[in-house]
Amino acid sequence: MTNGLIDFILVSVALLAIGIYGIAVKRNAIRMLFGIEMIINSANLNLVAFSRYIPNSQGQTLALFSIAIAAAEVAVGLALVIVAYRMYRNIDIADFRSLKG
Amino acid sequence: MIEFTSTPIMLTLILGAVGVLIPVINVARKEKGSSVYGVIALGALLAAIGFVVYQILTKHVTPSAIFSSNVLVDDKFGSFFAIAMLIVGIMTTVGSFNYMRGRANPAVYYSLILLSSIGMILIAYSTDLVMLFIAWELMSIPTYVLAGYLKKDPSSNEAAIKYFLFGALSSGIIIYGISIAYGLTGSTNIEQVIAGFSKLGPDMMPLAILAVGMFIAGFGFKIGLVPFHMWLPDAYEGSPPTIAALLAAGTKKAGFAAVLRVIIMGAIALNLHWAFALAVIAIVTMTVGNLAAIKQRNLTRMLAYSSIGQAGYILIGLSVAPISPIGIQASLFHILNHSVMKAAAFIAVAGIVTTLGVTHIEKIKGLGKRMPITALGLTISLLALAGVPPLNGFWSKLMLFGSAIDAGHTLSWAPYLAVAGVLNSALSLAYYGWIIRKMYFEEGESNKRLKEPKSVIAVMIFSIIFIVGIGVYPDPVIEFAKSAVPIMSGLPAIH
Repeated sequence: MTNGLIDFILVSVALLAIGIYGIAVKRNAIRMLFGIEMIINSANLNLVAFSRYIPNSQGQTLALFSIAIAAAEVAVGLALVIVAYRMYRNIDIADFRSLKG
Repeated sequence: MIEFTSTPIMLTLILGAVGVLIPVINVARKEKGSSVYGVIALGALLAAIGFVVYQILTKHVTPSAIFSSNVLVDDKFGSFFAIAMLIVGIMTTVGSFNYMRGRANPAVYYSLILLSSIGMILIAYSTDLVMLFIAWELMSIPTYVLAGYLKKDPSSNEAAIKYFLFGALSSGIIIYGISIAYGLTGSTNIEQVIAGFSKLGPDMMPLAILAVGMFIAGFGFKIGLVPFHMWLPDAYEGSPPTIAALLAAGTKKAGFAAVLRVIIMGAIALNLHWAFALAVIAIVTMTVGNLAAIKQRNLTRMLAYSSIGQAGYILIGLSVAPISPIGIQASLFHILNHSVMKAAAFIAVAGIVTTLGVTHIEKIKGLGKRMPITALGLTISLLALAGVPPLNGFWSKLMLFGSAIDAGHTLSWAPYLAVAGVLNSALSLAYYGWIIRKMYFEEGESNKRLKEPKSVIAVMIFSIIFIVGIGVYPDPVIEFAKSAVPIMSGLPAIH
């Protein structure tokens, strides 16, 4: 039984690591959005896997909520990126330099 | 089951119904661009704050309980934060009347402020990690849109993108922390999670510490604790100054509500070391914030760094909470004070932007003669932020530093927190005093008195009365903060 759980956790940790790598290294706004999605989905995978071995469904409920919220969040993020693209013709966040100090 | 007429449900209904209704009215009406939406939003916020006060006065609110088997609890702790958040919401809404005149889509703007306020309020009332996470997102998502509200302005868009990326990353980290806590304890209820953590064997303890560390990192992004603060000055500078008021005074304080609700988990998982870790973060946060603020030349950016510094002061009270009984009380008092002071300062900047269109510190020379009421409000709020007696900031800082000295009986390092706090207050007076000097003691381009925005005048008068009034007679608010402190008997003994 527990062997299966370890596999899920390994995948989830790998996803988390890839997501954090994406946010830390990539400078393209869309790629950074991918990274955020991967972190949220690694947590969802964790929740569902734990929920399989725990005799209640709170984890699955939270995973459902979290999927819906992540969709709303990314919708807002993409809208902001589109506005930025119209202004700069570019979505490289290293080029956004109007604020500094 | 929590009752239908309890405070959090009713507040959600009032603010949510009006928040959804405002854009609908906007579509139905033919003419565009009118401050009627602002007035409707203000009415909803006033009704909400009236309801909270009514519930407290008629004793429908239970004493502060950090735990409950429900997802929401109707207690004094939540009501304290609800009042602080609603005051900030009212100040932001009123302060926006003049700023929003002639700008696009006022209906959506006010509606988003209301929806974000619901999120902030529900964070303080929630006792379940699922509810906490959803309220956290309900607070955050509208503010991403609001930060990028001036969509033709590159700096507003840049601020919004930076704020969004770090905000979304922080919510990802929070939900990963929740998933670990759920996996370890089999529940998302905060009480059961804490009970489960205290029963964990030593081999599972590192995972519990990892979960708490993820909560501190996730909440720390929104609060602006120092390793996680890099987005904050950019986001506050680029967004409309009225929204900077909402971010600095509202979402940041709601983050502290989340920290307080979850912090006991840290107390059990990390035992004594968590207090030391928080104390180190507190000192680094206030020092970095104040040092960086000194070299800023832009008013909003300076206020943004100063709000990082203020987060450090609030953290003093939290780090000594398990030892000193006045630690959390002092933090709550400073949270309320700082909400009003910082919102007043940002709304004053919004007034300056509306009238003069500048935020650079050299451009506000002679403001004391040109915009006397705005300048007076800004001066009072800056002095209160620095902690000058007899203003309200003095009392809450005195309590915070007092709680650090009080904890010195058990923790030998605790009094150094007070020393660091006092030194930082002196440091902060340097840049607050510099703004005041520019406004009053240097000659501007002209001495002609300008027409000040009426809504900003209203906010300034309210905040001057609040700051000076609580400074002169702080007792009732201190009593209220005391009654809002959660019962901490579940904490482990400190060795």
